[in-house]
Amino acid sequence: MRRYILSRLIRWIPSVFVLLLTIYALVFFGAGDPIKLIFLQAPGDVAYDPARVEAIREAAGLNRPFLVQFGDYLANVVQGDFGNSLVSGRSVNSMIQAALPVTLQIGLSAICIVSLLGIALGVIAGLNQNKLLDNVIVGFAMIIWGIPVFVSGPLIIVVLVLGFNQDVPYGWDGLFSPLVLVPLLVLGLNPMALIIRQARAGVLEVLSEDYVRTARAKGIPNLQVVLRHIMRPVLTPVVSQIGLLVIATLNNSILIEKVFGLPGLGRLTETAIKSSDYPVILAIVLIFSVVVMTSNLLVDISYPLLDPRAAAKRTENEE
Amino acid sequence: MKKRLLGSLLLGLSMLGFSPAAPQAAEGQVLNVQHPVLEQNWSPLQGGGHSARWMSLWWAAPMYFDKDGQLTPYVLSEVTSDANYQVWSLKISAKAVFSDGSPITADDVVGTWNLSARPATKHSRVNLFLGDVTGFEEVSLGKAQDMTGLKVVDARTIEVTLVRADPIFDQKIATALIAPVKIAQAEDANGNEKQDWWMPQNGVVVSGPFMPESMDLDKGVITFVPNPNFFGPKPKLSKIVVTTVSDPSTATLMLRRGTMDAATELITPTIIQDLGPGFLNGPALAKGQQFWFNPNRAPMDDINVRKALVMAVNPKELALAAFPDGPFTPASQILNKVPGVDASYPNYPYDPEGAKAALAASKYGQSGRLPKIMFVGISTPTHEAAAQYIAEQWRKVLGIQGVEMKPAIETYSGPDQASVQIFRDDVGTRVPDAVSYLMGSIHSGSGNARNKMGGYQNAEVDSLLESASTKGVKDPERISLAQKAQRLFRDDWMYIPYYYDVMSKWAMPWVKNFDKNDDWQVIEPWNVEIDEAGRP
Repeated sequence: MRRYILSRLIRWIPSVFVLLLTIYALVFFGAGDPIKLIFLQAPGDVAYDPARVEAIREAAGLNRPFLVQFGDYLANVVQGDFGNSLVSGRSVNSMIQAALPVTLQIGLSAICIVSLLGIALGVIAGLNQNKLLDNVIVGFAMIIWGIPVFVSGPLIIVVLVLGFNQDVPYGWDGLFSPLVLVPLLVLGLNPMALIIRQARAGVLEVLSEDYVRTARAKGIPNLQVVLRHIMRPVLTPVVSQIGLLVIATLNNSILIEKVFGLPGLGRLTETAIKSSDYPVILAIVLIFSVVVMTSNLLVDISYPLLDPRAAAKRTENEE
Repeated sequence: MKKRLLGSLLLGLSMLGFSPAAPQAAEGQVLNVQHPVLEQNWSPLQGGGHSARWMSLWWAAPMYFDKDGQLTPYVLSEVTSDANYQVWSLKISAKAVFSDGSPITADDVVGTWNLSARPATKHSRVNLFLGDVTGFEEVSLGKAQDMTGLKVVDARTIEVTLVRADPIFDQKIATALIAPVKIAQAEDANGNEKQDWWMPQNGVVVSGPFMPESMDLDKGVITFVPNPNFFGPKPKLSKIVVTTVSDPSTATLMLRRGTMDAATELITPTIIQDLGPGFLNGPALAKGQQFWFNPNRAPMDDINVRKALVMAVNPKELALAAFPDGPFTPASQILNKVPGVDASYPNYPYDPEGAKAALAASKYGQSGRLPKIMFVGISTPTHEAAAQYIAEQWRKVLGIQGVEMKPAIETYSGPDQASVQIFRDDVGTRVPDAVSYLMGSIHSGSGNARNKMGGYQNAEVDSLLESASTKGVKDPERISLAQKAQRLFRDDWMYIPYYYDVMSKWAMPWVKNFDKNDDWQVIEPWNVEIDEAGRP
């Protein structure tokens, strides 16, 4: 297992390098010039003086060749320094340090809630196949699957404010503040459908297995059958969805944080992209990719714990 | 049943913490401002960006234009020039002090302006105000540290030498965007701007009616409280809280509900229906939007095509297509609001038959021979509506089919970029002066002529404007020459008039005395107050 983890970690290095090079090139060659954008924020372009813009670019070191700039950037990143924002001059590290905990807290909480609720609802639906409860849960899952976050977020706010005369739940006051409830709900609803459907399908598959029939024939109480014999095989495919859930949560955090004023990486991403502030964009991309790769690694590691057959297969492959 | 269930859920949420907006604290009035961007830079030396729109809250300008457009002393008590308008003497008010009680000195003013001009500071508009000061260009291009035209005479007097006569230099420097800062705080030993010197955590001292109490740039919340040493009238508000709310629909609901009182800028297609006409309304601005032609690109290289394209569009319908509920008005001539607007200006006619005849007289002869016409600057739903109206008129009147629209030129790339023939953008002036307005719009040296009109140059127009710019503000020839230049420009058929801007208040009706000037600044922040009874 240790060897497996180590080999996965080593494989990260070229992936991260290619990712950084690609994003750097995309932002460098494709997006708007950050200095030019600063000037274009002025009304009209009466203040726009190409010679002055060039002088500013030179002062900021932006007129150097691509590879020189990228090399410098990489050397700093290796030392844990993401550089300074091109727009504000602030340290990107300090911006990330402030934003990352918010996104992690919200994201992890949403994933935990979604997983627990989704698995529970999926199992209940599977155990009550074709009954009213199953139809209600599957119907609910279909509805929430069909409403994207960019619709449900603003919609809930509109209902709260216009329908129920409530304040907009806006801002960040810690994870245990009531302000977080609605963003968590919005962040979790859509991916929960995926978990519900996966868990339900897993239960239906396991229910027809011989060992479940045998366990029931032996008179083992239903709850024990569910917990001991059904849940474990059901969890394996569900856990594989957690990796996708992390990606969905990170993607959705950009919108959720904007709509609900959460000072996390998502909001920082939006601001950085709008102003072509590529040191910030690159740092966020790097962090997002590390989070996704870590979650995939954790999912891989958890397989053998849930299903010993996966461990045996991996050992065979390694040999 | 379902409704009751939803009601119960909401009641539960209410008990957990969401509740109808609480009335403001009794100790004073708090103005809550919605800010659309998570701004990481609130330096008063950047001259642009959304944060620059709140500079008058915490920085005292050299001078300012009051509500009636009168130039009013502020940090500077007296500004005089020699007979040639080339050497100016600026006198700092004896009352002008920073929030720590120390006087604002000539060194602070000169130091601030030099620091603003240096390229590393990235001040985006300093050339509008100080571009004619001797030595500005060298500093601006990084070839010198200080402008030779700025001289400290004594602690309260500055002498400014310009490279050319400028009778409106005093008006140009009447802006909070070059407000003097305590230079010892802002500048490091190498002549660069210190990082984050403007944050209250770093002990910034300010000169305006309010001072920052806290700045959480990561959360996007800035609070201002009255400056106890402000040398002007005592502010009526006890606190201003600027909160970043980037999502327009969330911002709209917060304003509707009274959680927010004002916005830095908020544009949505339904803003008037949502927040009422008063929110967007305001005094007319010396600024107008037009669709500019690039005469170096076919088919705009033929004046008859330009004529045809202009005459096929009804300017009134065009403005209505974009803003059916106002508050903007259809444009005609370039000049707007400033003294010198040409009362007998011959507007471009809406003349479908004339348009057809002009196209037939062009070297292209008919619409089928015209290359595809591409617009840029179609960056909002309102501009899209306007551009679509134009395209539809061209199709109906002239039979033109090939029209394409893109957002701002910087936000897309590709081979199309080299074939843009029409650029939607605004032109205007921040001083009440027709010459300044046209110099920035139609003179060949203006960014508009160089970038939007593909290097447009009419020697006669240039000569008239250059001549006008040397005349005194009270010299009637200044205006008559400008008007003549504008008419000559008109005959080149270089634009489709679109609409004239207003300086939107972006505040709910209960916010009083929130008038803004052409620099987007609240004119007299100390007078702003809230009619609590008007809040929802």
